[in-house]
Parts: sequence; structure tokens; C-alpha cells
Amino acid sequence: MNLFAMLEVSGSALGAERQRAEVVVSNMANAETARTPEGGPYRRRLVVFRTQRMPQFSMLLAGLQPGSAQGVHVDQVLADRSPAVRRYQPGHPDADPQGYVAYPAVNPVEEMTDLLGAVRSYELNAAAVAASKAMIQQSLDILR
Amino acid sequence: MSLIDTPMLHLLGRFLDVSVFRHSLIASNMANIDTPGYRTQDLNFRSEMQRATGDFEYASFSPAVRKVEGLIERPDGNNVSLERESLLLAETQLRFQQGVQLLRAEFRRLSNAINEGK
Amino acid sequence: MNNPISALRILPAELDPAATPSASGPKNGFLETLRETIQDMEHLQNQAQSKVAGLVEGNGMDVHSAMIAVEKADLSFQLMMQVRNKIVAAYQEIARLQF
Repeated sequence: MNLFAMLEVSGSALGAERQRAEVVVSNMANAETARTPEGGPYRRRLVVFRTQRMPQFSMLLAGLQPGSAQGVHVDQVLADRSPAVRRYQPGHPDADPQGYVAYPAVNPVEEMTDLLGAVRSYELNAAAVAASKAMIQQSLDILR
Repeated sequence: MSLIDTPMLHLLGRFLDVSVFRHSLIASNMANIDTPGYRTQDLNFRSEMQRATGDFEYASFSPAVRKVEGLIERPDGNNVSLERESLLLAETQLRFQQGVQLLRAEFRRLSNAINEGK
Repeated sequence: MNNPISALRILPAELDPAATPSASGPKNGFLETLRETIQDMEHLQNQAQSKVAGLVEGNGMDVHSAMIAVEKADLSFQLMMQVRNKIVAAYQEIARLQF
């Protein structure tokens, strides 16, 4: 796999981690949303990463080893099926007949940790991009 | 090709090829650091260097890619180590740079021999 | 290519092997070296050309392989020119000696 194709691999990771971060931020922003337009509390979302074979240039398809160079993509964005958190707030406009309000099952600490993980992985792949760029540059320097 | 293809050129060319391929594995590992079930891949630099025979193309270069043993596995089955890959990224890049410098020196030597011989 | 030396007009007419069919021994040796050098050069230039084309087309050719191929082709061209120059200089020297 050549250096330019590696930029695509790292790029796919940057995209996936960014999507992951966006989902986490959405969870955090909606941690207290008891009522959504669809009815019911906000449902926490999570991403599922899957390995992705990067589109290869036609001439190399024959010689490419399966499983050697792979990018990543967000395969699914799932809704967390955990039960909503119920708090007793009888005066609340969204309270049910028993006086409970349903809130999203979002744990801010968990979300923050996830966000930090996404940022760290993003930086890691940004470093890979920088390294690939440097190596391309150095390759060109072979010709003085 | 006999006069231009020195053993040193062949060796350095091969060195760059192996370095670039290893870099591609590191990039893949890094891209999949959060992919459930993904296992770290690598190649054996020394044995790939020793396998150098005759003339070959990077495009059809297929080294023995293997799974890395002894890494800590997380609950989702992923065993990519951020530290290991970061270290290897830096190391491989530096080695590549070194290889290019040596290659340029060898080309310079050949050029001098051709143009200022006798 | 059976006579690249003539086709490429690398040597002056008087040294061209096609012009003087009954070539002497030493002259043949030098020209044979030149012919081999030219063949090497053509081979390397073709390789360089296809690799650079591959690079430009984006078909997966790696940068460093293409750069190495270009440099090798360039050096073999220089080598060919040097061999040619030496041959021409040697014959000019000999011609001068023969008055």
C-alpha cells in the first residue's frame, strides 16, 4: 500500500473519530432532555466502528494482500436500549401519572471519558497523516 | 543495468520498500484502534530484508504480515496499543529518512564515478 | 533495436559502425560496450517512464520506487554519454596520430 493510500486510511479514522465525538457531544448536550419532538426522553446514541477495506487502485487489486491495510468507518449509530432514568418530579410538565419524569440514561462522566478517547485517537491518526506526508516529501527528495 | 544497479542500491531500495509497507500496517493499526475485535498487525523487518532476491516491484511486494503476540486485549477484543504504535510510527519514519539519505549518497557516489572517473 | 548507435546518432559519421562494415577488433570492442550501455539505458528509461506514469495516474505506484527509477535512468544516460565521449576522444586522438 503506497503512501498516498495511507493518507486515505488515516483520513478514514479521522472521520470516524470525529463522528464518534459528535455523537458523544450530542449525548452530553441532551443529558437532561425529557421530551423530544418524537415523544419521550432523548435516547443516548453510540457508534459502532468496523474495519473498512479502502478503495484500491485498479492495478493493485490483484496483488493486494487481504487484511493487510485497512481503514475504518462508522458502521452503525445505535440508540442505547437502556431504560430511561426516572426521577420523581410530580410538578414537572412531563411527569407521567405517577409523577415520574423519564430522563435519558446518559452518564456525563462516561460520555466525557468517551470524548477524551475520541480526541486521543484523532490525534494519533493525525500524527500518522503527518508521518505519511513527511515520508512522501522525503521520497521526492531522492531526486535532490 | 549492471553498472547502475549496485548491491547497495538494491539493499537500500528494499529497505525503503519494507519501511513503507511497515508504515502502512502501523497506519492501519492506528486507524483501527477503536474497532472492536481488531488485532494488531506487523511484519518482521529483518526477515523481510533477508528475503531480498533479484529485482522486484513494490506494487507486488507481499511480505509476511502477522498478528502481534503479547499485547493487552481490551474487553471489546481490540489489542492495539497506542504507545507501541506511536513509537513504531516515529521509528519507522526516522529509518525511512535515514534510508533516503543513504540512497542519495549512493546515487551521488555513482554520479561522481561516472562523471569524474579517471 | 539492432543498431541503436546509428539510430540515435550518438557517434559522428566516421565512427558509425554501419558506415564502415569492415570494422577492426578494438573498434568493435568499444562499440559493443556502447551498445550494451545504450540498451541498459533504454531499459531503465522505459521502467522510469512507466513508473512515473503510474504515479501520475494514481494507480498505486509508490513515490520512492518511481524516484529511484528516474535517478537510475538519469545515471545510465550520463554513463552512456561518458562512454560515447571517451570513444570519440580516443578516435580523435588516433586520427591525429595518423596525420
